[in-house]
Amino acid sequence: MKFLKSKNIQTFIIIALVAGVFFLSLSGYLTPVFNLSLNPLISFQSWLSVRYLSAKDFLTAPRELTTIREQNALLESQVTQLQTQLIQLEEQLSEAQVCFTLLDFARTNPQYEYIAATVIGREISPFQQYIFIDKGTNDGVLYGMPVVTQQGLVGRIDAVMANAGRIKLITDSTSVVNVFLQSAGTEAQLYGSLTGDVTLDLIPLEEVVEVGDVVLTSGLGGNYPPNIFVGQVLSTQKLDNALFQTAVVQPIVDFSSINAVLVIANFQAVDYSPLLPEE
Amino acid sequence: MIAQLVCLLLLIIFYMLQTAIFSQMPLISGTADLILLFFAAWTLQERVKYRWIWVVIGGLAISAISAMPLFAPLIGYAGVYGISKLLQRRVWQAPILAMFIVTLAGTLFQHGVYILSLQVSGAPISWGVSLDHVILPSILMNLLFALPMYALVNDVVGRLYPLEVEP
Repeated sequence: MKFLKSKNIQTFIIIALVAGVFFLSLSGYLTPVFNLSLNPLISFQSWLSVRYLSAKDFLTAPRELTTIREQNALLESQVTQLQTQLIQLEEQLSEAQVCFTLLDFARTNPQYEYIAATVIGREISPFQQYIFIDKGTNDGVLYGMPVVTQQGLVGRIDAVMANAGRIKLITDSTSVVNVFLQSAGTEAQLYGSLTGDVTLDLIPLEEVVEVGDVVLTSGLGGNYPPNIFVGQVLSTQKLDNALFQTAVVQPIVDFSSINAVLVIANFQAVDYSPLLPEE
Repeated sequence: MIAQLVCLLLLIIFYMLQTAIFSQMPLISGTADLILLFFAAWTLQERVKYRWIWVVIGGLAISAISAMPLFAPLIGYAGVYGISKLLQRRVWQAPILAMFIVTLAGTLFQHGVYILSLQVSGAPISWGVSLDHVILPSILMNLLFALPMYALVNDVVGRLYPLEVEP
């Protein structure tokens, strides 16, 4: 056994043992041994880690939660402010767009003087098509003045107070507008209805009216100025036994979403009632 | 006195809501009538005194503002009050049922008055088209809003006239 005491031999034995363990490990023979020895260590380490993190959370979280809540409240208030600003800016942008389009219409029709007004309400009765505006006699609005938008004819002032006015729309069932069919070169009358649809009547049978024909005010009767765009012919109806043909018109103005209008201030409606025969 | 002021305030608020919002939300061509619903709910409250005064004042004010001829709104709202008075004692055990009946009958009466007054004034309005496009959708809309209106008015009246609890 003396040769075992030699340092070289001891070194060789150690190297051989390490190499043996290494090869055994590589070949998988030591896996059960590693598992047996490592599993308790891993379990303990995970238990310790979970407890540490829990304790850390317990000690630090309340302060952070308070801070986060404060920051959240601050950010929420900032978001609310920004949303409010965004809504205000969108409203201003929308109003500006309407104003620009109305201004554009006024520039393209410089022969008239306009009073711009905002729509503030609609008639309470569903049987009638009227809207209310925020301009009245104090602003120069008078009974009978025609009302337009940048698109076309809206109606005329039906009643007026100091700071508000009521407009009878051309879609009202009692509304009659004298119009001119541009392509056919003939005149007709435009009637409103209970449902808001508008129809043309009194078109001579011999006239050829086609879908898409442009309908303009004729100026006859003195209620509206001539050549204001009203709409386009949607369909025609010609009955054999009828005296006149009729047509359905698609108004150019979307009456369900009018926000602002222009009152034509320098148009004098002609009152021809003295010429009518007395009953 | 406070009840009268509250009624006036509610009337103004509902008129503004009606013209600014509800009249612009049609179902086909019919719309809900908040004023009618308010009068129906208000006149069904037995604890409120002088209910008819506000029906008259409100009806006159709306007749002045509205384009309807011949004081038709006043007649319509007076009819709602009359129907409410008729039903008040008969279906007193089920006030919500009374509210629905007043809403239904009141809307029919009011629209009947509107059509007649428009026809008298020369408007070419037919009963058939009115029924299909305006009256039936309006009844539906009014019935939809009848319950919330009744709950609101009932709550307001309950605060104005609290019930006395016997000890």
